[in-house]
Amino acid sequence: MTEPRHIPITLPVLARVEGEGTLELRVHDGEIEDLRLRIFEPPRMFEKLLEGRDYSEVPDMVARICGICPVAYQMSAVHALESLFGVRPTEWIRAMRRVMYCGEWIQSHSLHIHMLAAPDFLGFPGMVEMAQRHPDEVRRGLMLQALGNDLIRLLGARSVHPVGVRVGGFYRAPKQGEIDSLLEELRAALPQAEALVRWTASLGFPEDEQQFTCVALRHPDEYPMNEGRLVSTQGLDIPADLFEKHFVEHQVPHSTALHCLHDGKPYLVGPLARLNLNMDRLPGHVRDVVDGLRLGFPSRNMHHSIVARAIEIMIAVHEAIRLLESYREPHSPNINLRPVAGVGAGCTEAPRGILWQRYEIDAAGKVRRARIVPPTSQNQARIEDDLRQSLRCFGTDRREEELRHHGERVIRNYDPCISCATHFLDLRINRSASG
Amino acid sequence: MKRVLVIGIGSPFGDDRLGWEAAETLRRSGDISAATGGIIEISHLDHPGSLVTMPWRDTDCVILLDAVRSGALPGTPHCLAADELAGAGLACSSHGFGVAEAVGLIRALGGMPSRLWVRGIEADPSWAGMSLSPAVASALPAFCVAVAKEALELSFDHPTANANPA
Repeated sequence: MTEPRHIPITLPVLARVEGEGTLELRVHDGEIEDLRLRIFEPPRMFEKLLEGRDYSEVPDMVARICGICPVAYQMSAVHALESLFGVRPTEWIRAMRRVMYCGEWIQSHSLHIHMLAAPDFLGFPGMVEMAQRHPDEVRRGLMLQALGNDLIRLLGARSVHPVGVRVGGFYRAPKQGEIDSLLEELRAALPQAEALVRWTASLGFPEDEQQFTCVALRHPDEYPMNEGRLVSTQGLDIPADLFEKHFVEHQVPHSTALHCLHDGKPYLVGPLARLNLNMDRLPGHVRDVVDGLRLGFPSRNMHHSIVARAIEIMIAVHEAIRLLESYREPHSPNINLRPVAGVGAGCTEAPRGILWQRYEIDAAGKVRRARIVPPTSQNQARIEDDLRQSLRCFGTDRREEELRHHGERVIRNYDPCISCATHFLDLRINRSASG
Repeated sequence: MKRVLVIGIGSPFGDDRLGWEAAETLRRSGDISAATGGIIEISHLDHPGSLVTMPWRDTDCVILLDAVRSGALPGTPHCLAADELAGAGLACSSHGFGVAEAVGLIRALGGMPSRLWVRGIEADPSWAGMSLSPAVASALPAFCVAVAKEALELSFDHPTANANPA
């Protein structure tokens, strides 16, 4: 005889997760029978909104998808369109795109580490409470975030939804004076970024090794941002335009966001996946620091994601310095191009993982079709897998409050940017036992 | 002479423009800069998170200008002291990081100016236009006159200045 016990729990505000969703858990005799991360953000129809618009409008429009990672949306879009138009960016454009991406990684990762993730490890409900006990660390995080915003503003005119990017380059080249003052800030920030890596590595981590497939870009020489082949820990190695052959999005009844699977299985994208697949692409000094940590990378512990983010901040500060030290004002910040009809795809590394876009353009340069696969939809199935494993190890007989807190913490490791709306998560547990 | 910072917070849309419009009106009027020689600084921000990284320790008074939604009649002026901001200091997410959360964090970091308050006008929740709603637009001139008078009195440390706004 089964005697079900319904224990609905409503958490009115789930702070520190970017999005809106519900975690539903059905437990029978202590075993998880069903687990669903329900995403009910309204469909945003961006791909449909792009149809009929001129190709030149795409960078400004896709920047509006996310307030935290607009540069990623712009970069994947311009690479997709330029590959279709047969345009190769100049070295200056290539370098400045990387600098701008460094800015986005620095600000997005700093935000996540200090506002969303670190309070979990230190036992505070949020950043404000953490700031009272760890003011210097929070100030350092705010400084780094502001620096990231400054880098985005340098090339994008503003840090949120920047407007400086165009297909074929930038609308404006920064003056040498702007570069010089930023270089000073970046040099001062490098030791701070290194201290941040050591600080995150000193946080206590639960033992939680899991098996999962990592997917990221890989570049012949550099830690990947804008370019590279798509690789995985299972041996995948393809050009980005073959993404659709190996990765399939599908609708699940409990989510308005599509789930994406690689050869039918969940996979991980984002800082930990990038780092695991690109340890040999770390700049020399960063590699020394990482090797000196007591944590072992590559890592199978998702709680190490906070350290991976800090390492990527250090990479980004290092890279921005390297690229800006050889800055010269160009003759032109963009190249001429002529739109041609066809299909082009682009993939870059958003702070949260690979962001793939494909555009079909007509002979007049108008968008016929667009497809955008953001990192969070790619991570959703992996998050559910992780929750199943983590909650089983944690113990499903624990109090709902403990289960909810642990579930939230697991979800936060992925820094999901579920929507740019509100932040509600209900945990609904349906427990039953055989009588 | 005291250093007074007037900061308009907003976005380009509808009544959320209020902070920017008020800051621009104050800047254009010229009375403030002419009277004090720049001790009163007027600026505008697009998101409150930037307040946290502003160097406020050398600032005596900060007046934040922002649209308000409290359920009052659209166009109603508001004045809130820092400790009256609902939700200040609560756990939050970056998407919900508003003026109250920014002030809470500044306080936690020990960087509060001597005095800080928010002056605002009740927004019209039914208004969907790009410019200010009629109710807010008609309240704006008197609102700016009041803010300018207050800022000037504060900068000269006038005894009747708003030391404890209510």
